Amino acid sequence: MSYYLAIIGTTDSPIYECEFGTHKQGGDGTSKFSPEMKELNPFILHSSIDIVEDIQWQTNSMFLKSFDEFHGPGTGSTSTNVNYYISGFLTSGNVKFLMIHDNSVYKNEDSIKQFFMDLNDLYVKTLLNPFYKVNDVISSSVFDLKVKACAKKYL
Amino acid sequence: MSQPSDIIQVSNPTQTSTKSALKGGYNPSLGPIQLPTSYQAQLASTASSKRNIYDHSLSRRAPEVNLSSLSYIFNVMIQYSQKNSKGIQELEGKLNTLGYSIGPKVLELITLREGKNAKREIKLVEILQFIHTQVWRTLFGRVADELEKSSEADDEYMITDKQPLMSEFISVPKDMGQLNVNAFVAGIIEGILDVCYFQASVSAHTVETPGCPNRTVFFIKFDRDVIERENLRFHK
Amino acid sequence: MSKSLKTTGEDLWKNKADKVNSELFTLTYGSIVAQLVRDYKQDYTQVNLQLEKMGYDIGIRIIEEFLAKSQVGRCQSFKETSEILSKIAFKYFLNITPRVENFSTDGKQFSLILDENPLAEFVELPDDEKANKQLWYSNVLVGVLRGALEMVQLDVEVAFVGDVLRGDDATEIRLKLIKILKDEIPAGED
Repeated sequence: MSYYLAIIGTTDSPIYECEFGTHKQGGDGTSKFSPEMKELNPFILHSSIDIVEDIQWQTNSMFLKSFDEFHGPGTGSTSTNVNYYISGFLTSGNVKFLMIHDNSVYKNEDSIKQFFMDLNDLYVKTLLNPFYKVNDVISSSVFDLKVKACAKKYL
Repeated sequence: MSQPSDIIQVSNPTQTSTKSALKGGYNPSLGPIQLPTSYQAQLASTASSKRNIYDHSLSRRAPEVNLSSLSYIFNVMIQYSQKNSKGIQELEGKLNTLGYSIGPKVLELITLREGKNAKREIKLVEILQFIHTQVWRTLFGRVADELEKSSEADDEYMITDKQPLMSEFISVPKDMGQLNVNAFVAGIIEGILDVCYFQASVSAHTVETPGCPNRTVFFIKFDRDVIERENLRFHK
Repeated sequence: MSKSLKTTGEDLWKNKADKVNSELFTLTYGSIVAQLVRDYKQDYTQVNLQLEKMGYDIGIRIIEEFLAKSQVGRCQSFKETSEILSKIAFKYFLNITPRVENFSTDGKQFSLILDENPLAEFVELPDDEKANKQLWYSNVLVGVLRGALEMVQLDVEVAFVGDVLRGDDATEIRLKLIKILKDEIPAGED
């Protein structure tokens, strides 16, 4: 199972991106997206922002489960297409955590939600730094490591 | 913003991945990169030995400091802003900017602390109530006094505070009578409203009443687009 | 003796201090430092200087409030000054008790070690190489101490020697007594 995560700021530009794979069931943590998918991922997420903008005015909740789908090339060299799902988390300050994942949401909804809650915690800590303004790129390597550690824990 | 070297980097990721492997963390011109696991382990061990902000817990109750310490720091902020300003408008503008950067931080912190019950505010009146109650209580220890809608215009609202905490020990000299240093708090409100996509301009005005010489009214004027969107959504 | 100072400090904090959320304090100070860094275009030496000057302006005023609220009498020695600073003054204003250490043998120098620093919660210095080597984020404290002690006739040189924000082991301020000022009327003033 592979995941592509992006944090999008209030002006729709990415402030953080990360790719990882699952550590469960013997996975080694590297994502298995095919090269075509790797190129498509940012575009897929960018188009899903439109859907987020629609949904965000209809619900109070922050966790947006599996709100978009993409049918695209699978992992490995086979030419079969698989379904990719996009889940998201919208903070009260309209910062979007969006993630493409390639397995059905039913198995993973809780762990994705937990992952987003931890990510929210990390994001707020970054935000509290006076030298960090909203929508700045998060280039801290410690943040990156912590995100990957969260991914290892939940996904 | 993109210089020739950036373009070369993006189109030759294999070349640059070796060059940039020396620095962890996200680089927007490169996108997500996967560093070799050995290097990741090395980074992890150096990171855990150094103090970092992510290890500090947010959920414990905030400690307190003396109000007069805050007042001294605020005073110094006003004096510094005044040095570089040519008038009251400019000074209030600078204070507003200083508060504006804090707004989103306060908002996210309060929402995070709500934990599982956290929700986003999607209605205009609700976000104003959130500010009037939650934000005021977190920052100042009590809720604001009044929240009113102007009867003359549908895009104007007012939050009133009879005894604003930050300006309690600040006395404005007579020749600057129009100045209200709560422009800083107005900036905080404006920062919160803007990131919630309820863009507005907020200003602080002193409106004395008998018994409340420091009574401050925060005048919130929403952008026309926001009001139209609210009306469309709720079929007014 | 030091135990009663500690309880005095705690009583003062509990009973005579109006309390406010420390996060508002941290964020307010943070936005000042961030603004200074922007205004001086990352010239961290200037930023340190400005913070120290701001602190000095605070210091010369804060001492009056402190003396009025705490009612402490004249200190008989620099050592006593250090104890009052750490157990009463810092407790009253910032709700922290820094440790007094490294007292020099001539009694004229000591360090204050801050285990917690409400000015610098959640702060991470900017990533350019200069900040880590040049910026003393909490430099306002240096000015406050210098200004306040000057008002009680102590000419003290104050400086940061370490900061956990910079990766040092501890946040440490060093105070050096230069001389005791006599009450002189400067020439030409009343």
